[in-house]
Amino acid sequence: MKFNPIKLRKTVLDMAYAGSTVHIGCAFSIIELLSVLYRSHLRYPDNDPFNKYRDYFVLSKGHGIMAQYACMHELGWLSDDDLLSYFSDGTDLKGLADSRIPGIEVTTGSLGHGFSVGVGLALGAKMRETDQKTFVLVGDGEINEGPIWEGALFSAHHDLDNFMVIVDENGFQAMGKTREIIALDSIQSKFESFGFDAITADGHDEISINKAIKDLWKVNSNKPKALIAKTVKGKGVDFMENDNSWHYTRLNQDSYQKAILSLNESIT
Amino acid sequence: MRAALSDVLVSLSKKDPNILLLTGDHGYSLFDDFRRECPEQYINAGIAEQNMTGIAAGLARSGFRPIVYGLSAFIPVRILEQIKLDVAHDNLPIIFIGDGAGFVYSHLGTSHQSTEDIACTRAIPNLSVYSPSDRFELKQCFARAYEEKAPVYIRLGKADRGDVHQSLQSLPTGGLINVRTGKKAKYSFIATGSMVRTAIDVADKLQIDIDVWSVPFIKPIDRSLVEKICCNSKAIVVLEEHSKYGGLGSMVAEIASTSSPVKMLQIAVNDCFSQKCGTYEYLLEEHGLDFVSVYKNIHSFLMDL
Repeated sequence: MKFNPIKLRKTVLDMAYAGSTVHIGCAFSIIELLSVLYRSHLRYPDNDPFNKYRDYFVLSKGHGIMAQYACMHELGWLSDDDLLSYFSDGTDLKGLADSRIPGIEVTTGSLGHGFSVGVGLALGAKMRETDQKTFVLVGDGEINEGPIWEGALFSAHHDLDNFMVIVDENGFQAMGKTREIIALDSIQSKFESFGFDAITADGHDEISINKAIKDLWKVNSNKPKALIAKTVKGKGVDFMENDNSWHYTRLNQDSYQKAILSLNESIT
Repeated sequence: MRAALSDVLVSLSKKDPNILLLTGDHGYSLFDDFRRECPEQYINAGIAEQNMTGIAAGLARSGFRPIVYGLSAFIPVRILEQIKLDVAHDNLPIIFIGDGAGFVYSHLGTSHQSTEDIACTRAIPNLSVYSPSDRFELKQCFARAYEEKAPVYIRLGKADRGDVHQSLQSLPTGGLINVRTGKKAKYSFIATGSMVRTAIDVADKLQIDIDVWSVPFIKPIDRSLVEKICCNSKAIVVLEEHSKYGGLGSMVAEIASTSSPVKMLQIAVNDCFSQKCGTYEYLLEEHGLDFVSVYKNIHSFLMDL
């Protein structure tokens, strides 16, 4: 099956090892979310990332980009060479989302930007009367940013029921646990109070994710949608799970091999 | 100039249904005509400028032509990062209008005064910076900005200082406009926005041969023309209602220093916030930008040459 989470994680590890890059844990928490989105929800007619009637996917937490690169590789939009030359001088793929890469909708990395641009894309689709949907994936730490809530108010006021935010609630941000830095409490109730239909689901259970997204679109309302995905930072590699040092730690030969081994063991 | 702004927005929007006017709850009666004539193209995005700019970027990606309006203190300064990342990085065709630039909101204090916007915006790649001096230049600036299909910041300063031109035909991008010609000009004044009128009035009073140039297009600018003006002048005076750091004066100095060094006086805001409350004229005086102060300053500069 396409977008197999273990394969996607291996791709991320290969890239991260090749480029000696950070943000591995941040990519691992959104693997199943992207897997389900690309497999079952995002429509790219003719597999064309520029198709005028495509759905929009905005990775607002741009530092999770390796997970998206892994999916784009499955779609044939990136080559093996693109991945294995990651971070080499003169290459195109950066450490954060850059819209100059076909398939990446919006340039992000500075947090709190992608949400509003996604709202604009959804508003544009409404005004054009197309059935395009817009998905924006944000980190839980990212929703510290004020423009997220400005955009939430706007999208509810304008009845953008073609807009869905997916919150990667892994409980960590760069410097520690979200509850110790800026406590978020119930993210679902926050979005509900801003006028969203919201569901919380296990962000690593593909069946639950798929059902939650379908259920949200099925709600008979004109509200924007929010999927709060409970995730684990570093998910899939035992020694990375819930260890926030993998926000910034780089792989060496030893840790790379151990990580691959851990992934392989998870198959059995 | 405000009536001209309303007219130009209405006429552009009637011509192109893809134009959308977004305001961060600013403009008040300015948009009465627009809302009557083009109600479907008007979006009050609320008091949320950062989100408004991101939304404009999303709309531009969907093929719309957003025009984002706000006070110059907020559009572009408050949303500088959104302009850089959401808009300019991808060269999206969005026009930003920063109204009330300089000391227009003289009674309201620092929050609403804007004398750093040119410096901030000039450094952003892909972003053009325009600064019209009267309604004729304003019309040209909008026509050019619409044709550019790229991000443009239009700085609007004090609107009621009187026309600089009697009429104005189309101009090339980067064009400086000669608004006063001395017979055998030894000196040149280069000014933008509200200070063009002052530059002309001071030149008239000095009764010596002075060329006065208006700069409606600050970036990109016709560098060779600036070089030529500097080359042909014994001294240059640059006037702007903006910080002396990073604005028109800095730009002229950057160009002149590389190819045509010339003695130069900067008439600009001297790296300080306003201290007192008062009328626009009072605030100009506080900053040495009123007619009398500017005249004295230039007179003594020219005498000392």
